[in-house]
Amino acid sequence: MIKYEKFILENGLKVLFHQDTTTPMAVVNTLYNVGARDETEEQTGFAHLFEHLMFGGSVNISDFDKPLQLAGGENNAFTSNDITNYYDVLPKQNIETALWLESDRMLSLAFTDKSLETQRSVVIEEFKQRYLNQPYGDVWLELRPLAYKVHPYKWATIGKEIKHIEDASMDDVKAFFKKFYCPSNAILTIAGNFELEEVKKLVNKWYGDIPAGQKNDRNIPKEPEQKEYREKTIEREVPTNAFYYAFKMKNRLNPDFYISDTLSDALGRDKSSRLYISLKKEQQLVSSIGAYIMGTIEDGLLVISGKLNDNISFKELDVALWKELDEIKKKELEENELKRIMNKIRTSKEFQEQGVLNRAMNLSMFELLGDANMINEESTSYQRITPKDIQRVAKDILQKEKCSLLKVKALPNDK
Amino acid sequence: MINRKEQPVIKKIESVDFLAPKKLKITPKVSLFHTKNVKDETTRFDLYFDAGKVKAENGIASFVNGLILSGTKEKTSVQINNDINGLGGFYESGVSIENAVISMHCLRENILPIFDTIIDAIKNANFPEKEVTEYFSDSKQRMKINSEKVSYLAQKKFQKLLFANNDKYSSTLSLEDYDKVSVEDLKEFHKKNYLKGLTKVVVVGNVEQNKITHLAESCSQFIADDGATFSSELKNHSTEERIEKKGAIQSAIRVGRTLFNKNHPDYLDFLVLNTILGDYFGSRLMSNIREDKGYTYGIGSMISELQKTGYFIVATEVGHEVKDATLQEIKNEFKRLQDEIVAEEELQLVKNYMLGQLLKSADGPYAMMDLYLSAEIHGKNLNFYNKAIESIQAISSERIKELAVKYLDWKEMSVVVVG
Repeated sequence: MIKYEKFILENGLKVLFHQDTTTPMAVVNTLYNVGARDETEEQTGFAHLFEHLMFGGSVNISDFDKPLQLAGGENNAFTSNDITNYYDVLPKQNIETALWLESDRMLSLAFTDKSLETQRSVVIEEFKQRYLNQPYGDVWLELRPLAYKVHPYKWATIGKEIKHIEDASMDDVKAFFKKFYCPSNAILTIAGNFELEEVKKLVNKWYGDIPAGQKNDRNIPKEPEQKEYREKTIEREVPTNAFYYAFKMKNRLNPDFYISDTLSDALGRDKSSRLYISLKKEQQLVSSIGAYIMGTIEDGLLVISGKLNDNISFKELDVALWKELDEIKKKELEENELKRIMNKIRTSKEFQEQGVLNRAMNLSMFELLGDANMINEESTSYQRITPKDIQRVAKDILQKEKCSLLKVKALPNDK
Repeated sequence: MINRKEQPVIKKIESVDFLAPKKLKITPKVSLFHTKNVKDETTRFDLYFDAGKVKAENGIASFVNGLILSGTKEKTSVQINNDINGLGGFYESGVSIENAVISMHCLRENILPIFDTIIDAIKNANFPEKEVTEYFSDSKQRMKINSEKVSYLAQKKFQKLLFANNDKYSSTLSLEDYDKVSVEDLKEFHKKNYLKGLTKVVVVGNVEQNKITHLAESCSQFIADDGATFSSELKNHSTEERIEKKGAIQSAIRVGRTLFNKNHPDYLDFLVLNTILGDYFGSRLMSNIREDKGYTYGIGSMISELQKTGYFIVATEVGHEVKDATLQEIKNEFKRLQDEIVAEEELQLVKNYMLGQLLKSADGPYAMMDLYLSAEIHGKNLNFYNKAIESIQAISSERIKELAVKYLDWKEMSVVVVG
């Protein structure tokens, strides 16, 4: 059970406080309700570029990192298709430095040309390092637009192309800040060895006078139901053929979400899962295979991916894979199999809640979904899943017409 | 009105609460370390073996480590994995130059049956031909994929130059190794380095004493006859090597030299120098090469420790077209530290930052155990970290300059550029 208190400032800032009397550290986590899904198709990668700019100095403070380091702390941030999350971890006696820094950049940024110019090139290098200069690095740049035709999940957080990042202007940056970075659009979570009254006082002091701004009432086009099988082959200079089967699944708040997650575990979480045993150990078709869900807030994907063994064709794999998928649709899981999966889910949940930073981030995410207390209901949601539920969801999701397949074909290497 | 222009008053970290695990001697040389103070249901155990890469040629150490759960006379690999996964265990294994480790994360209620499964699998591993063939084929494929990465190629080349005077340390896996190794080689290594190679057992978790005793007793059968021996005489070859990789749009850079570990009198002071240079977000290398020039997504430096010695390394990936400019800037940063005194303000910031990070490294039983082990491996106890606090607080700018002159001489460095 993770305990927390919640209060809301007059300007709309939602604040969660999680007390942990065992740690000497404090966590200040700020989740902004903005992600790559809030971008327009002509200007992708912007939410993530913006995350970089948040470290380029704010209206009253020229440098974000230095004062935090001087206080013995460190920080980082990440952007996903759904959210942008910033966190600071520092010795608890210095928490006020983090609140001072975070509240000032919520108030306004410095918007210097130098910062924009540098972060554009840093992000372009990140694009190259993670997506272009790695074998299979561009797979998601290809798979997303295959699986999504309308919804902004069709581009990756890094953006569709480098040019979009190159073209970002200062006016765009300012408009983006104004629209999304404000108390009404943020969730602040404080964790550490504090008392509630103390936290309330500090948060009011530093955040109370920030103008509320507008809540992000997004109007994103819904992805139409997929009714046809899609397939794309790309050729790359990679050593091995690789495959990515992406199936449409329900959104984060749908009760089927947890069932789909469990289904993906049954198919391909570990070395006891069905696809691993059948396609790898028994039939020797693949060198690796796994199944997982993307975990997005809106309608998501269940993905089965892996690499073919030499001399095995995509066709052979396809036949064998669909045979396994049909099997899980036809016949309920054995009790033992489900128990194994649930045991693994229990272990990972316990470990996820180990660190105070993890707990703070998860609380923020659940609050964004509607209620931080969902963090305490998650285990029950998993443990009550039955073999029948999994069979029903398997039948619903694992259909050919809901599937998009990306094949990466290895080009002969002439180097 | 609040003052948003000025930083709130910060309070210094004067001391950190370090908590040592309980040490249970299995033999005079091999111990089980246990931290019981975990408030939730999680637990972890690690088994350390004197089975690192230096112990055999042709990748045998890596292969045996990767195949340790591949089956026994009684059980297939599938059954072993099923026994572990069925109880919700997360298995990991790894092999470094000098050590091999087998780790398990699970809930404390399941620690005994999972532990017994692992012990049985290690004890009776018989390396079935089919499993070995499959593992080799997968591993070869992974290696081919890795060989497409400039960072992997650079790291391999760097290791060659870094340990140039010792073949055992400098040798890295090659595709030919897979054809040279037989099942017999694996069995022989297993017998020598696992069945008689255990050097340490670690448990974190609220596990009852009788279970800990069972763990210790089970492990006693694997204990090494004699202590492990490692090289203390490693010396890098100071030279620059470049590898062209067609089509690469980024280049991987590695710069470094053999140095020392916690047992050297300059270690703690060098740690401060290293932090200033490249071991935090505001470091000289990050400020210059990422935040000012935008050449890279990230650049950092670190000290890596071995049993008897250690090394220093700067690593980054940069745009192909700015690789020479980056090398020049790294050189300039070394030079600046040798020629100019670090400003008091910067030094104070680094001191505070390091103390804050030390506090964080001691936060929670898992982090605390890792911190303890990193001292224990060099024959030190937690008092080492109290000394570290004093030494960080006391160091002067002059001392940093002195160390930069002594250890950051560009002529002493091995330099690798791939891409």
